[in-house]
Amino acid sequence: MEKQTHEESGPEVFETLKYIIDPEVGINIVDLGLVYKVSLEEEKLHVDLTLTTPGCPMSGTIVTATEQILLKRFPNLDIKVELVWTPMWTTEMITEEGMRQLNRKS
Amino acid sequence: MSAATTSNSPGKWVVLPHYAFAAVAFLALSVLLLFSTDAFSGHYFHPKLLTLTHVAVLGWATMIIFGALYQLLPVVLDCKLYSEKLAIYTFGLLGAGTILLSYSFWNFQLGWTMHAAACALVAAFILFNINITQTARKAPKWTIEADFIVTSGIWLLVTGIVGLLMAVNFTFPFLPLDHVHYLKLHAHIGMAGWFLLLIIGVGVKLIPMFLLAHPEDSKKLNWAYNLINAGLVLFIFDHMLLQTKLLPLYGVMVALGVGMFILYLRDAKNTMQRKEIDLGMQQTFVALAILLLPLILLFVVSSNLNLPQQLLSSIYLVYGISVFLGFVSALILGQTFKTLPFIVWMHAYENHVGRFKTPLPKDMYSHSFLRWQNIFYLIGLVVLIAGVLLREQQIILAGSIAFTITAILYTVNVFQMLLHKAHNLKPFTYGKANA
Repeated sequence: MEKQTHEESGPEVFETLKYIIDPEVGINIVDLGLVYKVSLEEEKLHVDLTLTTPGCPMSGTIVTATEQILLKRFPNLDIKVELVWTPMWTTEMITEEGMRQLNRKS
Repeated sequence: MSAATTSNSPGKWVVLPHYAFAAVAFLALSVLLLFSTDAFSGHYFHPKLLTLTHVAVLGWATMIIFGALYQLLPVVLDCKLYSEKLAIYTFGLLGAGTILLSYSFWNFQLGWTMHAAACALVAAFILFNINITQTARKAPKWTIEADFIVTSGIWLLVTGIVGLLMAVNFTFPFLPLDHVHYLKLHAHIGMAGWFLLLIIGVGVKLIPMFLLAHPEDSKKLNWAYNLINAGLVLFIFDHMLLQTKLLPLYGVMVALGVGMFILYLRDAKNTMQRKEIDLGMQQTFVALAILLLPLILLFVVSSNLNLPQQLLSSIYLVYGISVFLGFVSALILGQTFKTLPFIVWMHAYENHVGRFKTPLPKDMYSHSFLRWQNIFYLIGLVVLIAGVLLREQQIILAGSIAFTITAILYTVNVFQMLLHKAHNLKPFTYGKANA
């Protein structure tokens, strides 16, 4: 898996994406490990994200949410969100904070 | 990284009417149950019991499974549904066929109404088969889940055709053996071929997904598929042609197949990251536990144990109840709350997500109603089975009342979701997202 590039693209993007909650799990997509890559080249912000399972019915909704929230937060950037399936998401990609939230829900 | 497609979900008018029809059918079923307490004292070939069974299997279970499958098939197979139009025609035929058939059985009118109902149902099953087969053909990868789902559709059609032949045979007798003989065939193909295979096919994808688990090994599922189908095919041949005493052996094969599925789910449970088991999943596990009862009773009804006829009749009834009002209904009562909130949420909020704060799907129904629904359901099932075994109408009535309360709570929750509209949304204010 490509590392999430907090330092390179700025933590602000990740903080913004934390507002998008996976509707089934109830945890934000960053801590769920769904955001694979964020890169900023000139005025283009590119985000690669995945879902917990291929064919997830929420795919369109989550992609749209990501685009909408980034457009609103960074109106001067050209936003491109791409849904990717490799590497396949596994539960090992959940962050420590995500695991803490999962366990807190028990 | 390889790029993926966006959502394959069908339109809401393809899916949601199935949930509405099924909820009303479940309510109708429980009300009919209140007026059928006298029907449980004899043989299962009784107009009221035939009505109850067909309302349960067609109006309630098959209807909601069709609707849910149109939403879930794209998830399981990772491709779009072949035809939304076909799905809507199928809904019309299944709905009309169910109402006509229930009317015919309740009034025991064996003429044209029953023939028309059976024809409508078989037509619905043909359209359904075309839709799922063509969808599966478009799937990027043929999986064991596709095997289960496509095969279950074929068994549903076979069940329907046997039912149609029996309906015609009521008026124009042409079948060589008595009706009960074909009824056993009709019921078992429906139970093991349609419901069991379909539930396993969808369950192996959804249950690990809801538990955040990734079981890798699909060998157990291959075994499950082969054992259940082999057991069913051997049963059909034996029952129709040979009539040996090997029926319990075929039952063992089906039970072993179910065992393989349960072992697969145990693997999923062992790797799950999600510690919270919500009410919908709790009810799903209750359904899986209830499945043990019909599997045990399968041996009793397929073996010649020389039990008194009255007790055997009651056991047959409990066998049917444990499948349709037990396993299948329990599963639907739980899985409705794992599917419907997301479908409604997606349609209500897809244009608002990322711009406004939106509620979560789990906020769209009453958890208190769901908790009581699950409690009354279990009480209803246990009391009903006790009443049937004891042949006590008052106890059966008490069980029916508990079922009716279950159905009311379920229907209120379902319609609360179906009628949900997005309103008073507040835009995001940025701060600490995890706070």
